[in-house]
Amino acid sequence: MKSVKYAPAILIGRAVRVLARWRKPGGGSAIPGVVVNRIAPRFLADTLNGFPLGLVIVTGSSGKSTTTKMLVAVLRAHGLTVFTNQSTANISQGLTSALLERVSLTGYIAGDVAVLEMDEGHGAFIAGSLTPRVVALTNVMVDQIDRFHDSEMVAGLLAKIAARATETVVLNADDRYLADLAHTLGSSVRVSRYGVTADVLAQYPRGLGYADTATARLPSGMGLQLTGMAGRTAEVEFPSSGRHGVTLPARGIHYAVDALTALGAAEATLGESFDPAVACAALSAMPAVFGRGEVVTVGGKIIEFVLVQNPSSFQLNVNSLEAGTEQIIVIIGSDVRDPSYFWPVDTSGLGHVLIASGLKAHDIALQLAYDNVRVDRIEPDVPTALDAFLALPDPASGVKTIIFSADGMRRTRAHLGLVSNAEESV
Amino acid sequence: MTATSIERPFTVVSLLPHLLDTNGDAGNARVLAQRARWAGRAAQVVDVSTRADLPEHVDAVSIGSGTDAALLPARDALRTLVEELRIWSNSGVPILAVGTGWELLSWGIDLADGAVIEGLGLVAGHAVPRVSRATDDIIVSSKYGRLIGFENHARDYVGAEASPLGRVVYGTGNGDAPASGPQIEGLTMGEVFCTHLHGPVLARNPGLADYLLEAAFRRSGLSYSRGAMATSVDDTAQTVRNQVAVRLGQSAE
Ligand SMILES: [Zn+2]
Repeated sequence: MKSVKYAPAILIGRAVRVLARWRKPGGGSAIPGVVVNRIAPRFLADTLNGFPLGLVIVTGSSGKSTTTKMLVAVLRAHGLTVFTNQSTANISQGLTSALLERVSLTGYIAGDVAVLEMDEGHGAFIAGSLTPRVVALTNVMVDQIDRFHDSEMVAGLLAKIAARATETVVLNADDRYLADLAHTLGSSVRVSRYGVTADVLAQYPRGLGYADTATARLPSGMGLQLTGMAGRTAEVEFPSSGRHGVTLPARGIHYAVDALTALGAAEATLGESFDPAVACAALSAMPAVFGRGEVVTVGGKIIEFVLVQNPSSFQLNVNSLEAGTEQIIVIIGSDVRDPSYFWPVDTSGLGHVLIASGLKAHDIALQLAYDNVRVDRIEPDVPTALDAFLALPDPASGVKTIIFSADGMRRTRAHLGLVSNAEESV
Repeated sequence: MTATSIERPFTVVSLLPHLLDTNGDAGNARVLAQRARWAGRAAQVVDVSTRADLPEHVDAVSIGSGTDAALLPARDALRTLVEELRIWSNSGVPILAVGTGWELLSWGIDLADGAVIEGLGLVAGHAVPRVSRATDDIIVSSKYGRLIGFENHARDYVGAEASPLGRVVYGTGNGDAPASGPQIEGLTMGEVFCTHLHGPVLARNPGLADYLLEAAFRRSGLSYSRGAMATSVDDTAQTVRNQVAVRLGQSAE
């Protein structure tokens, strides 16, 4: 595939990129992709399929962004050069533009492997063009958008992507939809399963948030297992090399499961070269993820940020909140269009919330009241609420904890003058 | 009033919360239980998936809304409870059914592909496909006060014209405005209340919640009066309703 046949398209794409930046500094990044995809429609697929260690795709309802970052960190720790993306609405144009930055005129990209994060809906894009060596599936959850469709449909979309795998499909055995999906794959494709043990699952009485949890756990030795979970520390059992500890980038069972997905995908990608100790060390060295349990210091006060993106992450974050946390503010913004959205969440574990804030302050306060959570104050104005919250003396137990929706996070960040270290696209 | 009716907790059955809680409607069971507690009575929510889960006494019943994939399993599970549902509805136990939970109590559901899912036949009417999904705030004027909620449904409901829950002020409700006659929302039959207003309809509209609680308490020979905590929480609900109303060009209350 490394031929000069794409040279004209690449040159034109680069020229368009320069023009786009003249017009709008720092912007216009998808435009070159549009142009190249029009004049050389096979460029993208040929380039992505052509990496020496192939293409790895990470997809699923939630956790794919974190999983992709974890997988990239593990592969890099093994000495690989990795091409990767952030999922965008128009994946084809975004990827082409990103590749143009890196590609030589002969179509060659310095790199060992490509790792792509994809949405469920991107199946049509890869069908018939991409041939991933490995496809890693995180879960089927019902989110703000998906609940207007249904889980079967999401599972069907994931099955289409998984069907493109040439070598291995890595999947979550605790997710019933994904466990069932394994039976639809061709016999030449290896299925690598991961899951939590019954003991770990028992720590989460309300489950892990999947649309449907498989009735049975993965038997020991049949795949990667999460055997222990406490705070930010997870214990993972590899069938081949026993148990290893991992420090997660934030507290929460979902991060541990993301780590399992990433480790499974890394093992499938690297084969014999995969080293569990190197992999776990790489995961433990990852920086904390902003807005999902990151601890920051603002004006000498220690604050923990907890981002709730959907009912599942809200529930998991409530469940994994440190016991005795006495200073909590909840900021729910205009991004939560429908107040019923969070009602499947049992928020009673919060116990006592000092301030409910954001455009939906009264809506969330109403839910908290019915969950027996004491709410001291409702203050829709976010800056006013934050100032009052931060002015309080340090708590005797736990850290100041801010639970926010994405809109609440943006407003908080703006008011506190914080720059994020990762613009999460979910 | 008997001693036992005070001693045993006020019991709200939440039917099939595993299948029918996509829009948080199972939360209506906890709203009823919590308001009963605030009124000074011990209360519990019992999740019922099979007959084996049924408690001895039932004071109120909540049925939520699920995805279309859950329609058949939910209908089949509800069929095993049809006798209880009939007894409850005939004996004045308040039942709140939302969205697909309501549709399953009807004569049946016409699906977009032409298939029909037979309902339990407990309430008149049936559900028919809409051209496009109705997803927006909804305001309904009813004898339980102005009801404000959120609707999210892919089907209309026909056959509730004789006993609607209320008249649509903003939104879609049972269907788009007809050529003649009022645009209506929901259905009532005795103490059975059916609505498209999903999620915390009872939390946001405590007038309706208290109507159900009064009916339920009365069956035990007790009278319900709103607790002090409920008064303050209802102020929050009023603020929420006014925010929506004003945003949609209606007056605040
Ligand atoms: Zn989705």
